[in-house]
Amino acid sequence: MTLMMISVMFLLLLAGFPMMMPLLTATILAFLLYFPSLSVQQVVQQMIGGVKPSALVAVPMFILAADIITRGHSADRLVDLVMRFMGHIRGGLAISTTSACALFGAVCGSTQATVVAVGGALRPRMLKAGYRDDFTIGLIVNAADLAYLIPPSIGMIVYGVLSGTSIAELFIAGIGPGLLVVVLFSAWCWFVAWREDIPVEPRAGWGERFTAMRRALWPLGFPVVVIGGIYGGIFTPTEAAAICVLYAAILELLIFRSISMKDLWDIVLSTGVMTSVIFILIATGAAFSWTISFAQVPQTILAAVGLADASPLKVLVIINIAFFLGCMFVDSIVVMLILVPIFAPVIANTGLDPVLVGVLVTLQIAIGAATPPFGCNLFTAIAVFKRPFIEVVRGVPPFLIMLLLVAALLVAFPWIALGLRDLAFR
Amino acid sequence: MQDHSRWRLLLWLDQAISMLEALIVGLSVTVMAINTIANVFGRYVFSQSLYFSEEVNEIAMVTITFIGLGYVTRKGLHIRMSALYDMVPDAPRRLLMALIALLSAAAMFLLAWYAWEYVDKVAGRGRITPAMQLPLWITYVAVVIGFFLAGVQYVATVIVNLTRSDEVWISHCHTDGYEDPELATMMELQKLDGPPANTRPANAGKE
Repeated sequence: MTLMMISVMFLLLLAGFPMMMPLLTATILAFLLYFPSLSVQQVVQQMIGGVKPSALVAVPMFILAADIITRGHSADRLVDLVMRFMGHIRGGLAISTTSACALFGAVCGSTQATVVAVGGALRPRMLKAGYRDDFTIGLIVNAADLAYLIPPSIGMIVYGVLSGTSIAELFIAGIGPGLLVVVLFSAWCWFVAWREDIPVEPRAGWGERFTAMRRALWPLGFPVVVIGGIYGGIFTPTEAAAICVLYAAILELLIFRSISMKDLWDIVLSTGVMTSVIFILIATGAAFSWTISFAQVPQTILAAVGLADASPLKVLVIINIAFFLGCMFVDSIVVMLILVPIFAPVIANTGLDPVLVGVLVTLQIAIGAATPPFGCNLFTAIAVFKRPFIEVVRGVPPFLIMLLLVAALLVAFPWIALGLRDLAFR
Repeated sequence: MQDHSRWRLLLWLDQAISMLEALIVGLSVTVMAINTIANVFGRYVFSQSLYFSEEVNEIAMVTITFIGLGYVTRKGLHIRMSALYDMVPDAPRRLLMALIALLSAAAMFLLAWYAWEYVDKVAGRGRITPAMQLPLWITYVAVVIGFFLAGVQYVATVIVNLTRSDEVWISHCHTDGYEDPELATMMELQKLDGPPANTRPANAGKE
């Protein structure tokens, strides 16, 4: 049965079926062939149950908030703020790009939105300052990964729901590794600027800095609500998401007046469509997960690859490799839907902290978004910057190495992620 | 986009259903947003949660997912891995797409049938939702409708790919191009002039 399910999924996936079909077909066939006493009704029931967890409400809410903000000018304001404070350091413009990605990632949870909003604003300026284009694009597509690590993060919500891990804890645990990425990237930017002798920008005066701060004050309310609210135990992630929607709507509708009620309806509809695309996969994944757990497939696979009673370290390393390879080729949500239930028993057995595993999985997913051949950030960059695939990919390797280094550091020193979590929740 | 006049009535019906689906999905998101925000205020300002809040959200999520399924299928927005598929030349690719749509239609109709049975079973037991005292089966009707309409869309896709030989059709009204729903929305929001959603010119890939 395991073999049947794996071969059906591979075949349909490669043939270009919609992503729900490989999972659905494998599940339905398993019911028809191997569980004749059970009705396929069970599949439908699991699918409905799959989209019912109230934590999932956060997904459409964060998408909605991000959609509203992306249309406004929040990204420009954040970029401006960072530039005024860091522009005068060597490599300041590149370092600002990294920090702006992190800040924007704290406002919205989509890596692709970050590529468009921050990259679109800063790439021309970096080129003008003398940075090479492959470095610039490589930096942008990889720094955009920070949107996944720094809360809010759609990937973390999906992981949390699939694995039954606290989403609030995942959010807070993502901050440490996110900052580590910022530090490493900034150091590299400094080095590149020094090697290529990029001129330094003039230092901004305190008057300019103050104006920039005032202008960025409104957008900075988002991380306060999300990180502050969750860290302080005031909001659940879903509540924080709802407040973000209200805040974004007030900001863009009433204060900045950058969108109209008509725009708002378009945004609501596109949020609904995007949610449906994600949720139908989650529904399918729930049925799939129930089926393989019922038939003890994970145990079979884990035993077959000798992971059933491996050491926690070995398990962590294997999980990293599996998610890294998976996300290189297949959409990250589908990778989670398939791999999370398979690894669940061994994670429980070894007593690994599910939050640590979640952060590592999120990091690998983020890395996958900027890794050839099929990273979605790469395709976004191709579309937005209008450069061919090969040019977009050329600048990726140094950043990929740094991100994998962060993954290794996380495995070696889990407190990078868990320290802040323990401070907030333990 | 098809101009056969004998299809006119069907196309009109399809348009109407499409608009209805969009309306339902959009309203569900709106209701969910207002309901969740109201609940936060209820909890913190009036220290009382809305007793129906969680249930409304559950119904809204089931509705968005399954009514959206038909809409997403019509727009051809499902996430797919198309790397190998894209290497296939046009004519066999049309057949491959017809096969994909045929199998997908079969799966959708099968699930619609079992969803119908499930709704029937739930209705027969007379279960009601805890907070709002609605009959539980009503909240699941969207599942039956969604699977059925998605199945209909896939059948239409099969027909279009087999009867027309000019393009590969990912759904009955959209041709196949590299398409990522999130990216398309983003480009639209930012008013960037990247490859617009689903309107790739017929010869773009062949130049």
